[in-house]
Amino acid sequence: MKTPASHALRMALIMVLLSAALFPIYWMVVTSLTSSANLFADRPQMLPDPAQAFNYAETFAKTGVLLWLRNSAIVAVGTMVLSILLAILPAYALSRFRFHGKGVLGFVLFATQMLPEAMLVVPLYAIFAKLLLLDTLGGLILANAAFTVPVITWILKGAIDGVPLEIEEAARIDGCSRLDIVLGIVLPVVAPTLAAASVIAFFHGWNEYVFAQTLILSQELRTASVGLASFVGELSTPIHTVMAIGVMYTLPAVAFYLMVQRYVVAGMTAGSVKG
Amino acid sequence: MASITLNHVAKHFGNKVAIADVDLKVEDGEFLVLLGPSGCGKSTLLRMLAGLETVTSGEIHLGGRRVDRLPPSARDMAFVFQSYALYPHMTVRRNIAFPLIMRQFKWWFHIPFLGGLAKRKIERSPAVRDLVEKTAKTLSLTEMLDRYPRTLSGGQRQRVALGRAMVRQPEVFLMDEPLSNLDAKLRSAMRAEITRLHQRVGGTFVYVTHDQVEAMTMGTRIALMRDGVIQQFGTPREIYTSPANTYVARFIGTPPMNLIEGRIDNGAICIGKARLPLPPALADVAGDNVLLGIRPNALSLSDASASGGLAGTVSLVEHVGAESVVAVKLSDGATAHDEEGAVPGEIMATVQGYSDLQPGAAVSVGLDLSEVVLFSRSTGQRI
Repeated sequence: MKTPASHALRMALIMVLLSAALFPIYWMVVTSLTSSANLFADRPQMLPDPAQAFNYAETFAKTGVLLWLRNSAIVAVGTMVLSILLAILPAYALSRFRFHGKGVLGFVLFATQMLPEAMLVVPLYAIFAKLLLLDTLGGLILANAAFTVPVITWILKGAIDGVPLEIEEAARIDGCSRLDIVLGIVLPVVAPTLAAASVIAFFHGWNEYVFAQTLILSQELRTASVGLASFVGELSTPIHTVMAIGVMYTLPAVAFYLMVQRYVVAGMTAGSVKG
Repeated sequence: MASITLNHVAKHFGNKVAIADVDLKVEDGEFLVLLGPSGCGKSTLLRMLAGLETVTSGEIHLGGRRVDRLPPSARDMAFVFQSYALYPHMTVRRNIAFPLIMRQFKWWFHIPFLGGLAKRKIERSPAVRDLVEKTAKTLSLTEMLDRYPRTLSGGQRQRVALGRAMVRQPEVFLMDEPLSNLDAKLRSAMRAEITRLHQRVGGTFVYVTHDQVEAMTMGTRIALMRDGVIQQFGTPREIYTSPANTYVARFIGTPPMNLIEGRIDNGAICIGKARLPLPPALADVAGDNVLLGIRPNALSLSDASASGGLAGTVSLVEHVGAESVVAVKLSDGATAHDEEGAVPGEIMATVQGYSDLQPGAAVSVGLDLSEVVLFSRSTGQRI
């Protein structure tokens, strides 16, 4: 039974966990709005100083952050779209069809996740150099998608497994082809999972560093993750500039998540068939 | 509308025979019920008619047209699923209109936004809108047209599934246990609704059920199946009064037909030491060991001292409203009831009204011999 004490305890626990999760972000915002003089003060500044907002203007003016963010957005959206497009049909096939080698194929898809990016970067570099994909955002999107497609395939397969077969049979009787069923019936029914898979692919593309650092050579094609890291110098690091870029790097991702999260709702299939 | 003909239709799943060799002709406008226990192949047969399962051998004709190699959508048959199978992301209106939208579907309808607009345009066209609204009105769904399936009750969802079938105006309606997910009261109401639908639209209906009450009340003819083989194909009355074999005799009727072991001897049937004269219709029956089949309502119970009946002891009395079901253990007679839970030598009788008999009471069981059917004890087939 809920007592006021247990309620208070629960709320306190939630507050502690929330603080642990949100404090680094808060600290990033505060640091980006702290003057250089106060950055290394004995008593750290705990509240943002609005007067230091010019730090953002200076960052915009002196760094290529807008270009990096644009490149990151292209790579993230490209990775998301390509991954979803490439994963839908294999996921459907793995879920619905019986064919020779299905188990092996499923395992191989899974096994790709066991290989770390750093291990693949050298062979990928050689292949991309031959295919003239080095130093192109398209090549980077392709490399990222190679990592996200297997994961998304498995996630979508799991969701399609949960779509009652009778719905597809009803659609066949109503005149749908197999492609009509996938695009018109199955995908809308698994929309919440599709949204979740999009989030995974988007953030992989947005955050990715190893490939972006290796496969992109020119300054103007740098993504934000590489651009941000370029400020960390051997002798000095402009902390408040790095934090300001960090804030700008985080905001679009948060906005994307807030936009998509309303689609990540449960219970889409409720009522279609008797549960 | 069209008749359905099945010629030597069989279905094998690997080594397992689901449908053995079915020959069947369903006349135009008929309401055929495929009846049988779980796993007898009735749903498989229905799915083969719909094109959802391939046919291992044999042919299916709809009217004069061979359809067993056509895809489901080209067969002009509508299918109502046990689990409703509504599209969860579409409103009731779109669910019902969906088959009509698919008739005008173009590949570019898959393009997001543009396809949505095109589908909406079809849905709002006068021809489609009027048909959908007329169908909804028939099924009392008008108020729910803009709701989603998840907000509807089981009965409402099943009505939407019926609407989706009706709106196509198909030649044949196929229904796979459409009422088995509903509660008893709603099932009874929907049973009447489907019967009225059949009378109104006049199409050929094929209806799968394991519920003999549904079969007896709705079907113009019943095909009773077991292990992929049709045991009997006839009107509900034929199946009830003249079962083709002991399986049919025991499957239909509540309580089922009693099967008492007997012996034919000189124009009479002997059960234990009792000797009962055969009715004229059965006077020339040949054979020695037989099973005497008699419905519980053709038995009468009287005082143990009465002559001309079978002696027995009451073992159970169940009062079911207008009548009482009395189980009687025969003192000198054996039965051939092989179902789980059947007590050897026990027969069931129904008595009008509330019976005052108590378990343990000695009774004499009278048989209305004009209602008797005889089966071979070795093959189980009707003699």
